[in-house]
Amino acid sequence: MSLPPAASVESILEIPEGTIAISHSLNVQEIINSVQDDSAGATAVFIGTTRNSFKGLEYQAYTKLALKTIADIVRNAASSVTRSDHQPQAQRDSSYVASLVRCSVHHRIGTVPVGEPSIVIAVSSPHRKESFVACEQILEDVKRKAQIWKREFYEGEDEDTAQWKENY
Amino acid sequence: MHTPPAQATITILYFAAASTAIGKTVEEIPLPSAGLALANLASLLTSRYPNTGLEKVLQTSQWSVNEEMVDDPTTVTLTGGEEVAVIPPVSGG
Repeated sequence: MSLPPAASVESILEIPEGTIAISHSLNVQEIINSVQDDSAGATAVFIGTTRNSFKGLEYQAYTKLALKTIADIVRNAASSVTRSDHQPQAQRDSSYVASLVRCSVHHRIGTVPVGEPSIVIAVSSPHRKESFVACEQILEDVKRKAQIWKREFYEGEDEDTAQWKENY
Repeated sequence: MHTPPAQATITILYFAAASTAIGKTVEEIPLPSAGLALANLASLLTSRYPNTGLEKVLQTSQWSVNEEMVDDPTTVTLTGGEEVAVIPPVSGG
């Protein structure tokens, strides 16, 4: 397997809306725990996992730029998600109650064997709708914009010929 | 005595298909003394790596300069010291 770029390294970025991380391993439970809060009535979690049609996946990232891109994605999701309609009118009128409590986006780099997660997104919010909507929006934006690449190794294939994928 | 200024260079990062095309993930290249329009960087790199498949990759890639995506390469001139990256179509998730 080719050497990963020197710019594809582990790093964590903390912002007021949550945590963005690129790392060689993911602990799903820790990521979920990191968005827990007594003010959150809902937590939505997305776990993207390597399917068994591959031998495995290799990811690389332009870590510094990818963290900035995902931070923008999280900030955008936090500001664009609207409150659910069943919230009391008094709370909807208040500008001080955030629609999201916390977001955590972790993406793995390096080789990811079959069955292991490559991305985990956890979003907590006072009510369920906002966390579902924000979690999906963050995932789709990460796949569209974050400076991260993967290639798939199939059983029996020469690793040197493995092709880099394109999401769009 | 007068020492000429060191020649300006830029650092180029290659990811994914760009790096596998040329077998490199990073390099420093010298700039012309007048600087280089970012829009002309693709042809400069293609002439450094002819017949490698890099040209085809560059046709579908974007640029970043100093960790910012560039929307319009015709508005950017490289003068030295920049970190430029070839950003092929992404495939995270």
